[in-house]
Amino acid sequence: MGAVRRLPLSMLLAVLLVVAGAAGLVRGSIPSSAALSAAADGTAGPQQPIVVSGGYVREPANGVSAAAYFTLYNTTDSIDVLTAVDSGAGAQVSLHTDGMQHSAGLSIPPHGSVSLAPGKGHVMIEKLYGPLKPGQSVNFQLTFAQAGQLLLTVPVIAIGAPAPTPEAPR
Amino acid sequence: MSRLWSLWARLAALLLVAALAGCVSGSAGTPTASPSASELNDHAAGSGYSGLGLDPPQPRPQFTLTDTAGKTFRFGTQTAGKPTLLFFGYTTCPDVCPTTLADIANGLRGVPETVRKQTQVVFVTTDVKHDTAAVLKSYLAKFDPGLPNRFIGLRGTQSEVDAAQVAAHVTLAEDEGRTHSSEVLLYGSDDYARVAFLQSTNQAEQVAHDLPLVADTK
Repeated sequence: MGAVRRLPLSMLLAVLLVVAGAAGLVRGSIPSSAALSAAADGTAGPQQPIVVSGGYVREPANGVSAAAYFTLYNTTDSIDVLTAVDSGAGAQVSLHTDGMQHSAGLSIPPHGSVSLAPGKGHVMIEKLYGPLKPGQSVNFQLTFAQAGQLLLTVPVIAIGAPAPTPEAPR
Repeated sequence: MSRLWSLWARLAALLLVAALAGCVSGSAGTPTASPSASELNDHAAGSGYSGLGLDPPQPRPQFTLTDTAGKTFRFGTQTAGKPTLLFFGYTTCPDVCPTTLADIANGLRGVPETVRKQTQVVFVTTDVKHDTAAVLKSYLAKFDPGLPNRFIGLRGTQSEVDAAQVAAHVTLAEDEGRTHSSEVLLYGSDDYARVAFLQSTNQAEQVAHDLPLVADTK
């Protein structure tokens, strides 16, 4: 496989500007912290209705599809539903739980959480735009029935390397 | 008592395998509060294995497929006497297959060198159309770096792959191989499988714990 492709910062900014109006998502070597703060991600503070933690994309072994995992915490008093997921890493994104494609959305109970983990569920990214290698980050746009849209940036974790541990919001 | 638990664990595991089997299917589903594999494995306590105890043990199966070099591979005879991990899956499986193969590799990295050198890992693809020899070879090479024995990738016609699954007593894959058993069978040096593994967060540790128990240490 080819070496990890890193976009120069200027090109990255240009790309960001170009896609910001359209998809608003780009896969590249964006430092996670910068992207998180810029995106007002769910991990920014306890006031967020939905907090996402422990997110990662597993480096794909097949080069054609990849799986993303994360834990969603609902900090509100009412149920929320993850209704759509888009990714900057591939053209086709779908939510799978219990080994099945999930078309109706994923419900997160009030003050509860839902974890996507190997064997339990994942976001499947197909028609990858390019190789996904450790060191890269992947952006996701999560759409919730109540909380609206949330931009999430997660690292690509190498095959066999330990996954990040989710942390519950305080 | 432990035998009873073992039987229950086995039955429950079969149900779980049937329910969990595979990575993708077309129909919608909702999350359920089914027991996790690690919970089931707790019930196998007393067998001495971290994985799921198989009682009665299953003999090493005889089936013939083709390896990634295009050569005929007779599983029963060519792996005989060696600890062997057998798993059925397909390369575009996004979730269970790559996680399981990575867990097997990490488990192998955690056992003594003498055990690691004896152990064979065999992956049989259930996607007979897409998984060519080249695809299978390139896929497995992502998991076995640094290990003394390369992972063996096997393929065949639909009837050959079906026959292999029947011989190994795993749930027959459906939907062009995309819905398949997630069970990893571990055959020992004595050519019997007394333990199997299901996807769980500590699968690598289970493999590392149980492999030395079934390897020939003489």
